[in-house]
Amino acid sequence: MSRRSPILWLVIAASGICGAASAAHGQQGDNAVQQPAMVPASVPASAPAASDSNVGTAGATASPAPAPASATRSAGTAHASSAASPAVRERESLLIEGEKRFGTNCGRCHQSPHHFPPRMMATVVRHMRVRATITDEDMRLILLYMTQ
Amino acid sequence: MRRTSTRSVIYGWLRVFAVIATLLAAPLARCQSTSADQDPSTDTTADSAYETIRPVPIFSAGVAYNSFFDGGVDNVHPLVSPVTLIPFGQNWLIESRETFEINLAPVPGESGYHGALQKEVDYLQLDYIANSHMTVTVGRFLTPFGVFNERLYPVWIRDLQTDPLILPIATGPSGAGTGAMVRGGFDLTSKVEINYATYFSTLSTDTPLDSERMAGMRAGIFLTGPRLEFGGSFQHLLQGDRSNAFGFHAAWQPRSLPLDLRAEYARADTGSGYWVESAYKLSQIPVWRDELRHVQVVGRMQQYFTGVVPDDDLPAVNTRLFEFGLNYYFYDDLRIVSSYGRQFAPEGGNMNIWNVGLTYRFVLPIGHGDIQ
Repeated sequence: MSRRSPILWLVIAASGICGAASAAHGQQGDNAVQQPAMVPASVPASAPAASDSNVGTAGATASPAPAPASATRSAGTAHASSAASPAVRERESLLIEGEKRFGTNCGRCHQSPHHFPPRMMATVVRHMRVRATITDEDMRLILLYMTQ
Repeated sequence: MRRTSTRSVIYGWLRVFAVIATLLAAPLARCQSTSADQDPSTDTTADSAYETIRPVPIFSAGVAYNSFFDGGVDNVHPLVSPVTLIPFGQNWLIESRETFEINLAPVPGESGYHGALQKEVDYLQLDYIANSHMTVTVGRFLTPFGVFNERLYPVWIRDLQTDPLILPIATGPSGAGTGAMVRGGFDLTSKVEINYATYFSTLSTDTPLDSERMAGMRAGIFLTGPRLEFGGSFQHLLQGDRSNAFGFHAAWQPRSLPLDLRAEYARADTGSGYWVESAYKLSQIPVWRDELRHVQVVGRMQQYFTGVVPDDDLPAVNTRLFEFGLNYYFYDDLRIVSSYGRQFAPEGGNMNIWNVGLTYRFVLPIGHGDIQ
């Protein structure tokens, strides 16, 4: 045991550096306050899909936390978005739906979102599809949301 | 005796493969029609993301270092639980999780702490995503009885580090089965999702791959609007007394509060009981927001009643346990955990249970992962 311990702690330390790097890369401390709301710039904050989206774990919608920057940004750019193409609007609605599915499914066990690189995220989502029995549609939308 | 045992194992596996072949035939044929029936305009972008991003193998591990004080006896419990995920093709995944842990405790008359390393293969399985509603799994898998064993067991996910008293009921000798499983989920309506898992496990006496011969299923309904899930589990033991076990589970995350409510009930010949747990994150407290949003308060009440068949993994007497926890999240993967519990049991079983610990989880790509 005593000979294994240094190796174990080296692994932990190395992984800690990776974890810290990942945290600096976009990790959020608490999803109820800091979860990145993927409200696209072209969607008004009062849109039904946005108001219905449960951002991460519960509490985000009723929390008196200040409005996310992206939501504020969306109000300011709503006029410009009216000229967005149907494809862009469809993509944005899919992102909102992905965010909603993320909060509904992943937030049942996990505290806050992870932003892994896309290829890692694809593996994680496939794993969670099996583990948490999420539906195929959920998996695709969550992957889209988490890789944007 | 040896020949009979080998033959029965072979027959067991043949049955497993026969069941898999039967289950695969119909859904694969159906998959052709369902994919053609889908409206291509609904999720083209999501499909594009799914099909163009090539998944990379992942190595992850949960690490915990816990100190328990059970009735005044100090125990130190380090644990490492590596997870490996190897995706290949569009529909395949190999996944495994092992647990290495030591329960170090003082031995009367000796100095220091002593304990033996315990090794478990929690799961080592091959998954095939047959279609949008079904995944076929073969190998060693976590027994889908209730939800704690499958979803909440990892040390970096669970809110309290102690196991529920009823966890060993119907989950097998090490919480896993060896055989085949079919599972999946589908949307009943836009607001109602159904999930299911059905499995067959064969007898294995080889540690750390031991399992019981059993079959069972679990089904759940998830209401996405109120975020309420409830379901039930059933299992039939195909060895020994061939007894049945059943259980119920429920989970609720109200939208207006950062609150998790979970509960399970299980009943078998070995015993019965329930646990109810609530976890509340203090992110809505109007003062010290920056600090309090990292803090989680947990409470759990559980009760166990002995059955007619004794089980070494379950308490020997009727037991009640109340626990209160306080966790601090540095971020999702790293946290300090603590709890106090009071156990009530006859024959000197009343005791305080304290816990202080640290849990951590990391994820690393194996190979070339794209960097954002």
